[in-house]
Amino acid sequence: MNVKAMIWLLAAAGLGLVLWVMAAMRLLPGGWPAFPFDPQGMTLDQILLTFGLMPRGVIALVAGAALGLSGALLQAVLRNPVADPTTLGISGGAQLALVMATILAPGLLEYGRWPVAVIGAGLAAALVMSIGARRAFAPVTMVIAGMLVAMTASAIATAVTLARGEYLLSLVIWNGGSLVQQDWSGVRILALVLGFGAVAAALLARPLRVLSLGAAGAQGLGMNVAAVRFAVVVVAVVLAAAVSAELGLIGFVGLAAPALARSMGARTMGQVLAIAPLIGALILSVCDGVVLTLAGATGEMYPTGALTGLIGGPLLIWLLPRLRGSTPPGTEAGEGPGTRLARPTRVLGGMACAAVMLALVLVWIGRVPGGWAVLDWDSFRAFLPLRLPRLIAAGAAGALLALAGAVLQRLTANPLASPEVLGVSGGASIGYVATLFMFTAPGQGPLTVGTMLGGALALMLVANYARRRDMPAERVLLAGIAVSAMAAAVLSAVMATGSKQSWQVLAWLSGSSSTVGPVQATIMALLAAVVLATAWYARRWLQVLPLGPEVAAGVGLPLIRARLALIGLAGLATGAATVLVGPVSFVGLMAPHVARRIGLARAQDHVLGAALIGAILMIAADFGARMAGFPYELPLGLFASLLGAPWLIWLMMRMRR
Amino acid sequence: MTDPLFTIKGLCVDVPGRRLIHDLDLELPGGQVIALIGHNGSSKSTLLKVLARQIVHSSGGVSFAGRPITDYSPQDYARGLAFMPQTTPPAEGMTVRELVALGRYPWHGALGRFGPDDHVAVDSAMSECGVTEFADQLVDTLSGGERQRCWLAMMVAQQAGTLLLDEPISALDIAHQVEVLSLVRRMCHDQGRTAIVVLHEVNMAARFCDHVVAMKAGRLAMQGSSDELMRPEALEHVYGLPMQVLRREDGGKVAVPA
Repeated sequence: MNVKAMIWLLAAAGLGLVLWVMAAMRLLPGGWPAFPFDPQGMTLDQILLTFGLMPRGVIALVAGAALGLSGALLQAVLRNPVADPTTLGISGGAQLALVMATILAPGLLEYGRWPVAVIGAGLAAALVMSIGARRAFAPVTMVIAGMLVAMTASAIATAVTLARGEYLLSLVIWNGGSLVQQDWSGVRILALVLGFGAVAAALLARPLRVLSLGAAGAQGLGMNVAAVRFAVVVVAVVLAAAVSAELGLIGFVGLAAPALARSMGARTMGQVLAIAPLIGALILSVCDGVVLTLAGATGEMYPTGALTGLIGGPLLIWLLPRLRGSTPPGTEAGEGPGTRLARPTRVLGGMACAAVMLALVLVWIGRVPGGWAVLDWDSFRAFLPLRLPRLIAAGAAGALLALAGAVLQRLTANPLASPEVLGVSGGASIGYVATLFMFTAPGQGPLTVGTMLGGALALMLVANYARRRDMPAERVLLAGIAVSAMAAAVLSAVMATGSKQSWQVLAWLSGSSSTVGPVQATIMALLAAVVLATAWYARRWLQVLPLGPEVAAGVGLPLIRARLALIGLAGLATGAATVLVGPVSFVGLMAPHVARRIGLARAQDHVLGAALIGAILMIAADFGARMAGFPYELPLGLFASLLGAPWLIWLMMRMRR
Repeated sequence: MTDPLFTIKGLCVDVPGRRLIHDLDLELPGGQVIALIGHNGSSKSTLLKVLARQIVHSSGGVSFAGRPITDYSPQDYARGLAFMPQTTPPAEGMTVRELVALGRYPWHGALGRFGPDDHVAVDSAMSECGVTEFADQLVDTLSGGERQRCWLAMMVAQQAGTLLLDEPISALDIAHQVEVLSLVRRMCHDQGRTAIVVLHEVNMAARFCDHVVAMKAGRLAMQGSSDELMRPEALEHVYGLPMQVLRREDGGKVAVPA
């Protein structure tokens, strides 16, 4: 720990304090309440201060510390610099449990929110860990599994809420992370949990230091690796779940705090475990101070959880080149030889037929009030012009996202690369919002162009990291997560303004294809065909690039030109699809994975297969989104992740080894 | 001696805060197996990567077959010279034949037809390196020695006259080390190719290579035939450690730490 780092910490602490005191002064023209606090003898403002603002200031510190500690523990035990409660799906599991309990069994919550949250978080963690255990806890695999679990949980929770027509409630729940307090009970519970966590972390510090040698090394020194791992994960889960229960989803703090602690010079396990909670507390405190200040200045109340992304995103991007590599080499070797189909052409042909058949069948059947109906010939003719364009557009969007994902995965030789994970979707949504605000009532054309530009720009930013020599996969991933978090924060902030544009963003976020006309459907289909043809022409590049830049340069590939062209292609495809589907879909992650898992190994088969799977997924999702919550329509992208993510999780669990 | 294959003049390579190669002048002959040896951190791998155009040098000039290496287009350079990195990346889901066929990229490019010439080149490369029997197996399922031979076959399919190998035997057992180096030697002597091989094992270098270039702390320590290397004074100069040279029954020399 050097002097410069100390100054930074003190400055952050000072900033947090000043922002809080400013908020308190705005509230309080009169005197401070006297100690001991007795509501009887106070003015209303004093009561608001004592039971609202004061616990709020304290809970920011306590919750931030709990998240920082949870993240530090997870990163240490998994030896994974991108592990934190959000990326491992733990917070998502907690939120799902809370939403389900609220809607289905409100009686459960009588005993307090956090037992429910701990159960949900524990289940999610158990699922992710059981996938990870088969692959020797390889960092990238763990994060794929965690993000899939988180996204499935969030999709289920949102779908359940939306299917009951509680449209806005879901957004409130999911953009959550509001620190508003009514009394000191939340502080008391979290402080107790944090105290327990601190004691447990102190006890586990030495086993963790031994474990940092790797499982084999630790076993050689006589440690019960499984027991230590289990204990550490339990502590981390309890900490994260308690925060989720009290405050909702606050991303990023658990990820950024340990990373910052390390870059400030915390070297040993004990130092990281001690400093990460401190930094976490300061991050959340400063973020909440900014929210309070904004609330005082503009009268708008932003959820603090959204702001952590806005501050944490750039912080992480700044931090990335300074991070020391902390993943030992060889930990990604757990994948084993993949499968490979002997006759890919037949499978591809079958999938193409399936896609066409599916589209035809789904035009035919539909849901009417009180049941299902198969259309007769006359109504078929009447419905065809209504339903076919949206199915075509959905299929094309799915194919575009899947193509972008396949190209990015091959370009970076990183199985996690996809438009959603690399922040391209996030950048595209910022582009969408920016276009909304820059032009009055922009049409579909400018919106599409703006979204494409946003996607391409975000990809440039992330690719800047991917391009550097020896930049490990998880660091590129961190850059992507940072861009995504920033985009999510921008969207939440726009939504919180309640302006005219915010309603358009809301409608777009729920990603419906209901407004698609024949012209737009044709354009999307053409675009998908062009991107597919381009990717097919670039198949030799895509075959060589996964072998890494050394080999690619060795056989004479024009590296810079190839990279720029492929990045541009992926950005364009993502932008076009995002306009229709909205930023949350994960088709771009799932479809290329599924294609590879079923054994489409050659570049051209892989790209074509991914496109077909993406189209099938999205057509099915469009149908499901129309039918599942009838008469309400569910968001398209959300339904796509609901379909694909569990399948991919199942595939990962089934893998050998 | 004919024209040198590589002519290096005043070569400097820098990384932020450090100079890896100091003002190196060197000429490397063609048609031979050349060993690049030296202690850890002597910049032998760096030199190889400069020759392969994997890293850009800071100053000085390198020319390959009479032309500065910066003049070549990526494709032209790959037709003349093939490079194998120290750690070969996992070739997920790729068969041996597909991997070897990647070596044809400099000839057919991104869009050109994979013609009869290409098929012939791939087949003969596989048989030259003895991997024909694995042609339709996945690369990742093979053993270390077999995989190394597949990568060599890819370089052969590239039909480049010059092969650059960065520690090709460091992960192999002794039998496979001999096998891979014999193959490299045979490829050079039978087909008139040049190979520049970074090696750690001084005895392997002396036994399989015609010419030895020794680096020390970013500078040339010595170059010459393997007989000139296998002298206690020369070895001590290169490795900074007293060495003894023993004579085998067949007259070959073996160096051991004294």
